[in-house]
Amino acid sequence: MKPARLVAIVFLTFVGISALVPRLWTPDSYETQLREAPDAPPSARFPLGTDALGRDRMARLLYGTRVSLTLAPAAALLSCIVAALVGGLAGLAGGWTERIVLAGLDLFMSLPWLFLLLTVRATLPLNVSALASLSITFALLGLLSWPASARVVRAAIHGLRDSDFMLQARASGVTPWRLIWRQLIPNVMPVLLAQFWIAVPVFILAEATLGMLGLGVSEPLPSWGSLLRELEGGNLRSQPWMAAPAVLLAAVVGCFQLILPREDYSI
Amino acid sequence: MKLFITQLGRIVALVFLAGLASALLVRFSPGSLVDERELDPRMSQQTLAALRAKRAGENSLRSGFVQYLRGAVRGDLGESTSRNAPIADLLTQNAPATLRRLAIGLVGAWIGGLGMAILVARFRRSRIMESTTSVAAGVLLSLPAAILAYFCLTAGVAVEVVLILVLVPRVFRFTRNLLVQAYGSSHVDMARARGISETRILFGHVCRDAAPQLVALIAASLSMAVGAIIPIEAICDAAGLGRLAWQAAMSRDLPLLVNLTMLIALATTAAMAIAELTLLGRGESNS
Repeated sequence: MKPARLVAIVFLTFVGISALVPRLWTPDSYETQLREAPDAPPSARFPLGTDALGRDRMARLLYGTRVSLTLAPAAALLSCIVAALVGGLAGLAGGWTERIVLAGLDLFMSLPWLFLLLTVRATLPLNVSALASLSITFALLGLLSWPASARVVRAAIHGLRDSDFMLQARASGVTPWRLIWRQLIPNVMPVLLAQFWIAVPVFILAEATLGMLGLGVSEPLPSWGSLLRELEGGNLRSQPWMAAPAVLLAAVVGCFQLILPREDYSI
Repeated sequence: MKLFITQLGRIVALVFLAGLASALLVRFSPGSLVDERELDPRMSQQTLAALRAKRAGENSLRSGFVQYLRGAVRGDLGESTSRNAPIADLLTQNAPATLRRLAIGLVGAWIGGLGMAILVARFRRSRIMESTTSVAAGVLLSLPAAILAYFCLTAGVAVEVVLILVLVPRVFRFTRNLLVQAYGSSHVDMARARGISETRILFGHVCRDAAPQLVALIAASLSMAVGAIIPIEAICDAAGLGRLAWQAAMSRDLPLLVNLTMLIALATTAAMAIAELTLLGRGESNS
């Protein structure tokens, strides 16, 4: 394994553990308000200072990391499941079903993904609870991003459908369900896994963009997107520690890029 | 001619379906049947009835969407609910700035991205060049467009530069892979062995081999640019279609969003169709 890849894995593990057990670094919760210390600069008690409401920025960053790093893979999993179902159906059925599915995919892909996210998010209520906004944001990420993966799955299944081993299995009387379960799914799994790992950093970035535009996870729940939104009200020159969420986001996405096969990371 | 008509039909069908899908989305969105103005106690029963009738007409998929399409043919795209202004006027006011930014951004990104890709592919044994460009592209790809826009806004950099910074790494990664692949082919080795100059190899063999994918990538980069311009214009508070789309989303101005959806679908599908026609034309002329 290349040293850069190893460093990336170690870093991601470190960030993951810190996000899962934030108490290792800070005693406060993301919503604990310390009214006597609003806008406090970094100190031993608050390594990244406090925000305007007196909440520990370090705690909010760690809890926000937990939200983004847990839900981006969940959204990626949802996207892969939908892609597998739709792409699998098109690849296996062929004919008119395949054509209709392909037309649907063309329709989805005729709009830039971010614009689609923005439009669909706008049709849903904006003033909702933090938990509801969290569910909406990541469900939308998962449900609107499957078309590209579905195309890849369809192409993979199309190739497998006419392969020799499938023909042999069919000729020896294997039932269609068994054929799918024992032959197709294991062979498509590497494609789906690659799609999953490509989607995770993309979803992290998309959530950050939605959050910065005010359409992501709402207060008081932190996520990288909502933390980055605070940059708009702050001054990076006098408070450079406010850039911590951006630095962590870039580092984590950069590490994902190092772990992924280079050819596969193509947005 | 047949291909042209097919592509035209495809564009019309996709734009129509995009409009229909967004109209469906609007119709079934929570709160679509509620008008806050109905809560105003000063409204008379007659005004309320007129408001409800107007809303029912707009929300009816059959009459509302057909009425919209009829109006669109005459240049009437309806009225923005958040700005109380004709949507056609809003689009014509904001489109020029965005189109100019997109043009500058795309040209800049292609010059930068393709230029770097040519250098890396040409000197592919130079580890310093490979690692420097990879790290630079990796850093830019690891930051969302909104963050880049914020940093550039703080530094006083122009909006177009942000768009270039967003697009360059993507164009670079795609084109570098294509060119490296083309440089690795056996006929390039043969040309080099025959003493053909590197410039001729680049333009006569490598770029020619990669041309079909490069043309497809130009169309794809337009879609990327349209996606990126929304957060950039919103964060930089630059007037344009991107900021308009964001403001429409924030104020749930659904008629405006439907129109923007159709406009963007038209732009991206037209770009894809032009790319496909160019490729097909090139294929026919080669054969």
